[in-house]
Amino acid sequence: MEQMKRLLLVGIISVLAIFVVACNGESTSETDNTEGTSDEETTSEGNESASEEVTIVYARGVDTTGAIDLVIEAFEEKHPHINVELREMPADTGQSHDQYVTMFSSQSSEVDVFDADVIWPAEFAQANYALELDRFIERDSIDMDAYFPGTVQAANFNGKQWAMPKFTDAGMLYYRSDIVEEAPETWDELIEQASELQGEEGTEFGYLMQAAQYEGLVCNYIEFIASYGGQVIDDDNNVVVNSPETVKGLEKLTEVVNSDFVPDNILNFMETETENAWIAGDAVFARNWPYLQASSNDEERSSIVGNVDIAPLPAGDEGHAATLGGWMGMINRYSEHPEEAWEFLKFMTGEEGQKIIAVHGGRAPTLEALYEDPEVKEAGPLFANPEFVNVLQSAVPRPVSPIYPEISDIMQIEISKVLTGDQSAEEAAENMQSKMEEAMGD
Amino acid sequence: MKKFQLNEKQLGYAMILPSLLLVIVVTLWPVAQSFYNSLFDYRLNDPTRSQKMLNANIDLERYVDNYFYIDGQLSDLEGNAEGDQLEAVQQAREAIEGYHQELTSDAEINAKIEQIDEMLMNFEPISDSELKYTKVDNDFAADYRGALENISADFLSIADSTDNEQLAQSFEQTGSLLAGTSDNILESNFIGFANYTKYFQDQRMWQSLWNTFYFTVVSVGFELVLGLAIALLINRAFKGRGIVRASVLIPWAIPTAVAAMMWGFLYDGQTGIVAHYFEKLNIIPSASWLLSTSDGGMFAIIFADVWKTTPYMALLLLAGLQTIPNSLYEASNVDGANKWQQFFKITLPLLKSAILVALLFRTLDAFRVFDLIYVLTGGGPANATESISVYAYVTLFSQQNFGEGSVLSVIVFLCVALISFIYVRLIGSDLFAGRTK
Repeated sequence: MEQMKRLLLVGIISVLAIFVVACNGESTSETDNTEGTSDEETTSEGNESASEEVTIVYARGVDTTGAIDLVIEAFEEKHPHINVELREMPADTGQSHDQYVTMFSSQSSEVDVFDADVIWPAEFAQANYALELDRFIERDSIDMDAYFPGTVQAANFNGKQWAMPKFTDAGMLYYRSDIVEEAPETWDELIEQASELQGEEGTEFGYLMQAAQYEGLVCNYIEFIASYGGQVIDDDNNVVVNSPETVKGLEKLTEVVNSDFVPDNILNFMETETENAWIAGDAVFARNWPYLQASSNDEERSSIVGNVDIAPLPAGDEGHAATLGGWMGMINRYSEHPEEAWEFLKFMTGEEGQKIIAVHGGRAPTLEALYEDPEVKEAGPLFANPEFVNVLQSAVPRPVSPIYPEISDIMQIEISKVLTGDQSAEEAAENMQSKMEEAMGD
Repeated sequence: MKKFQLNEKQLGYAMILPSLLLVIVVTLWPVAQSFYNSLFDYRLNDPTRSQKMLNANIDLERYVDNYFYIDGQLSDLEGNAEGDQLEAVQQAREAIEGYHQELTSDAEINAKIEQIDEMLMNFEPISDSELKYTKVDNDFAADYRGALENISADFLSIADSTDNEQLAQSFEQTGSLLAGTSDNILESNFIGFANYTKYFQDQRMWQSLWNTFYFTVVSVGFELVLGLAIALLINRAFKGRGIVRASVLIPWAIPTAVAAMMWGFLYDGQTGIVAHYFEKLNIIPSASWLLSTSDGGMFAIIFADVWKTTPYMALLLLAGLQTIPNSLYEASNVDGANKWQQFFKITLPLLKSAILVALLFRTLDAFRVFDLIYVLTGGGPANATESISVYAYVTLFSQQNFGEGSVLSVIVFLCVALISFIYVRLIGSDLFAGRTK
């Protein structure tokens, strides 16, 4: 028996050892490779480098639509000497953020181009993680006015352009057109309709949203408070989160989360859970980003093709509000191939790349002209819908701050405590106010 | 002549010197480094505080870059401004150039500046911090920074009072550039124990410490009882004992992150099978209770941890059981002791040191719990499952706040040191009692 146990142990250890060695071997050979090409490149300079094969690494979050593979394919066809290697990052943007900052603060060059959430550029720029793009933009005469102004601004910090807008997002309300006659106008109407219609056509829930303790909760929260006229940080950088309006918004959010028409485990819901339950036909209403339109109409995965429609999120006392989301492309400051990285970034965020992402991925382009493109219009009824473009243009940004991760962390915790019933909305507003003031004063 | 010779005692110390050095390098040095970090307001994502500085410093990379623009913009302003404004600009130039000359009068700094200038022209990143930062006199730094701030404020007020829109804009631009440059002159960010005072008043720190403590005591308690039961069971001779012994180890062999993902699915409020049966058996109020309430979250991680590490406990205790000679049990049988008496009078006393060693390992392990919580609940819901290590991770890596994060690491270290100290005292008095005399 002893021997058998020993054998087992030796077996496990040797398997682990092989694993470690294999991983190491792979990564060292990879770095050797890139170092080699970069050396050659610096000696050959400019024109000749076009003939050298270069591999750049592009990192992005989870993509269920597969559009990015098509972009890379199209790009590699155009630039045969550049290979793009895809690296997938976690679906939770907070976790991706942590991995990126760990990577960049050690000045690693393992990633060349990466996707950045709309809330990151200020932080990354200040911390010197990203390459400023102004001289590339000027050299290749990219027309920044062709992009939605809000998205360009979000990528601008201290007067320099740090990122290229890739697609824009705003929270919106999805509803089942085979069940709902008229989309709800206000939150109260939504609550009424959701509890009334829950159960029809095989649905299980009235409403789906994102309420887990993570960044998505902040987006949902901003939508509620903004629709009641509340704000977190005002234009003059003062914390104004403790106001009657935000308390009212948070109370409405709590009412929805604690109602019996949302799933019991709504406090674990992120976008993926919402998407899965929605395309399985489990719910009457759902709040999600525009990409859900494409998955709802995907014949292979969705059981509700053709029965989905969109509307702006319901209004509070002050009207409709949607959180501005979306992603940008940035270049790692320590990239060994900035030229090639820029070529890829330019292609991906340019007309051609954005079109592929819009048509196959259902993501909303940041180039205004693409909304006139017949192929894009055809790809999603969303893009042909002028109301959708309005929602995008008037979306509410999250607080802009180089210490955004800290601000977001405070909001996530305090809001989550309200949703689990550990504190009241007033207490949460007071706590957020004092904690944010302290964080910003540091 | 007397030959140099170590006496026996000195020789003994000389022999253990290498291992002492190893201990210092491997364990004490990182702790000392964390402690040193914790005395600074040290944030990687804030360029004014991204270095530990006991002295005033200048971030030469940014300074040189900005100085280039200052020069150009001041010349522009001189060309466009008139009267009082022109005078203000000229005074500003005089003052700034004076300070800049004082700075470059140091040959070493001048050489650095020239090298950086060249690198900036070629758009090369400057990653050598020796080159990027230079120490300067504290008073000089304060004066220069103050001067830049004053000029910046002057320019901004000129911009406000000027009617000429274009000129106002130029003044404003230069004003904010100067304010930005004043941020390149860095103050010392040594703040002593201020970070500690902050955390001792931080409710979240106490909450996470309490969570960790609660998790440790409850999970290790259950693991001990269950582990002992399993060890007693697999210590007996029965058919297929080998397979049972090997299979008991499986939970422990699964990587924690993978196990946590697995439990995430099992606990899921809609589809989780464990959640479903717990609900059916009335152990929990509803299937979604597990991951979406504070108590449920804590229960979920403790349950998963008990599942995962009980085998480890059982293994350590099994090793202890096997050292108990069988003759003791035979003798007690002859004396007519029943099974309970045997367990309490023979097994437990003789197993005491094995139990203490197992508890030491498990307590230390449980106190540093990170991966299970990070993957399974992420510290939520409502931060009810955040352990001190998760809090340290968020501060260190999400917020890049190395100064404050190091305080948390030091707190973890102190707690762990205290726990080991207590155990070693307990074990020591028992285990080494016979040897020291």
